[in-house]
Amino acid sequence: MADQNVTRRNFMIRAIIGIFVFIGAVLAIPLGGFGILPAFKKKATGWSDAGTVNDLMVNEPQERRFFQLVKSGWQEEKQERSVWLVKRLDKSVVAYSPNCPHLGCGYRWFTAEKRFKCPCHASVFDIEGKLLSGPAPRSLDTLETKVEDNRVMIKYEVFQLGTTQKQTA
Amino acid sequence: MFTKIIDWLDERIEIRRLWSGIADRPIPGGSSWFYVLGSALAFIFILQMVTGIFLSFYYAPTPDHAYASVKYIQNEAPFGSFVRGMHNWGASFMMVIVALHLLRVFVFGSYKKPRELVWLLGVGLILLVGGFAFTGYLLPWDQKAYWATVVGTNVAGTVPVIGGLLLKIVRGGAELGNLTLSRFFAVHTYILPWTLALLAGLHIFMLELAGPGGKWDPSKNSPDKTEPLFPNQIYKDSLFLLLMFLALASLAVLFPAPLEPQADPTDSTYNPRPEWYFYFVFQLLRIFEGKYEVVGTFVIPTIGITAFVLLPFLDRNPERAPQKRKIMMTIGGLAVFTISVLTLIGAQAPNVNVPAVTSPSVIAGRVLYDTNGCAACHSIHGKGGAIGPELTHVGGKKDRDWLLKHFKDPKAMSPGSIMPKVTLHDKQLNELTDYMMSLK
Repeated sequence: MADQNVTRRNFMIRAIIGIFVFIGAVLAIPLGGFGILPAFKKKATGWSDAGTVNDLMVNEPQERRFFQLVKSGWQEEKQERSVWLVKRLDKSVVAYSPNCPHLGCGYRWFTAEKRFKCPCHASVFDIEGKLLSGPAPRSLDTLETKVEDNRVMIKYEVFQLGTTQKQTA
Repeated sequence: MFTKIIDWLDERIEIRRLWSGIADRPIPGGSSWFYVLGSALAFIFILQMVTGIFLSFYYAPTPDHAYASVKYIQNEAPFGSFVRGMHNWGASFMMVIVALHLLRVFVFGSYKKPRELVWLLGVGLILLVGGFAFTGYLLPWDQKAYWATVVGTNVAGTVPVIGGLLLKIVRGGAELGNLTLSRFFAVHTYILPWTLALLAGLHIFMLELAGPGGKWDPSKNSPDKTEPLFPNQIYKDSLFLLLMFLALASLAVLFPAPLEPQADPTDSTYNPRPEWYFYFVFQLLRIFEGKYEVVGTFVIPTIGITAFVLLPFLDRNPERAPQKRKIMMTIGGLAVFTISVLTLIGAQAPNVNVPAVTSPSVIAGRVLYDTNGCAACHSIHGKGGAIGPELTHVGGKKDRDWLLKHFKDPKAMSPGSIMPKVTLHDKQLNELTDYMMSLK
């Protein structure tokens, strides 16, 4: 009789634990997925028109703003983007992502010193985007560009920052 | 009447016993001004809850509306500036009192056996308070909010191996946007308050179970020196709370919470700076270069937090008097010194601004703009008419070709436009266009 009580007691304890583990698990999977998975949705990147190529002077970086159609959650909108464009001697155009590869602040061009400088943690880059000093772990990130009908077309992407390897976020 | 109600309650739920269980809790060694800090934190937390709940009456957590709604709270809602000011200053007070409370516990050796659990919960609470500050920051969606969060979330991205994953989970995607703001709002207003309330409750409950430590000198904790929690300690607590409340309210009135221009992800002229209590982290990030970057973003913070967690297990010397714990006091002093120095250096980090170079043609264009009456219809930086589109950022939105063609024949470029053709010669049109292009 006593033994029977013990097994019955054990059974009840296990059942109680089991019930709540079950409820927890059934809730955790959809709630976790709901909260986290939308973050990993890949965004299609197409070409955006970043204005005319005629305004660019050789080796004079220019900041350009343009719009990219972006879908973010429930909202599809024209997102304003900016890039730094540099026209090289051979007339090719390079576009740098506007965020410092350290932690993402907007860096700027100093004409007299011929340097890009970041205002946050003081990284410095040359016109080729090469890291000269500061905490940034890599050089400026370039974006894919092409020139069509005298217009600069850019495949705008967001990169993971703070890492030595350039990688699409 | 009051006694009758109490009698009625006492008959049913023994309320007098319940109250005396709380009120008569003995404070070993007597009440002390050093012990007011814990109550002060509970008080600030309640204030933050109350002001936060009221802010949510008008706040809208989407990038489209967040800034406008905060601006409404700040400038239009009756007492809005005060409510937001209290919430904003409350965050700073929370940081200061957390630091003092931590220091008090450290110096008194109160983290030692049997109060290790109280300490551990305290460490958890500090991290939650940091989380509050970090998530609260983004909500106004102004420049500071946006850029501080860009940097802060990227710090999470530098965590080895799982950094990229973590960054996306924190942001709700690859970059800051709708999904970042809504999840920061959910974390700031639902997840963190509940978690903090739970942990703070456990923190106090564990102190109750383990028993308060009293003075560090055991001879001063003799039973004849013991005082009850109520009214002796609560009296000191209340006086301190009043002082703190008056300071908080005065600051909220005299120095309203700042609100910078709306977040602009394309702005490359802004100098992002964190709140003052994160200056030491900010400075830490400036120190380590290249591949050592991760030392500042991950290694040192992790070592710091781990040291906090392990403190009561590493330092098992039962001695509590600080004068007999010279090594610990030195370590603590060095930590305070380092954080203070980093904070001071961080506060003085120079802004990086491009010197304004205005080319002659831009100046000529500006004169043309002024003398041709453009401002009758268009506005730049808030000055001018509202009939035509605002031109403050026109240089970033239109390109040269478009502007030139538009000046010559507005209707051809924007059908239905009522703007008259600009009758200037080509050189002047070029100058006007240069001026437009300089507006970014």
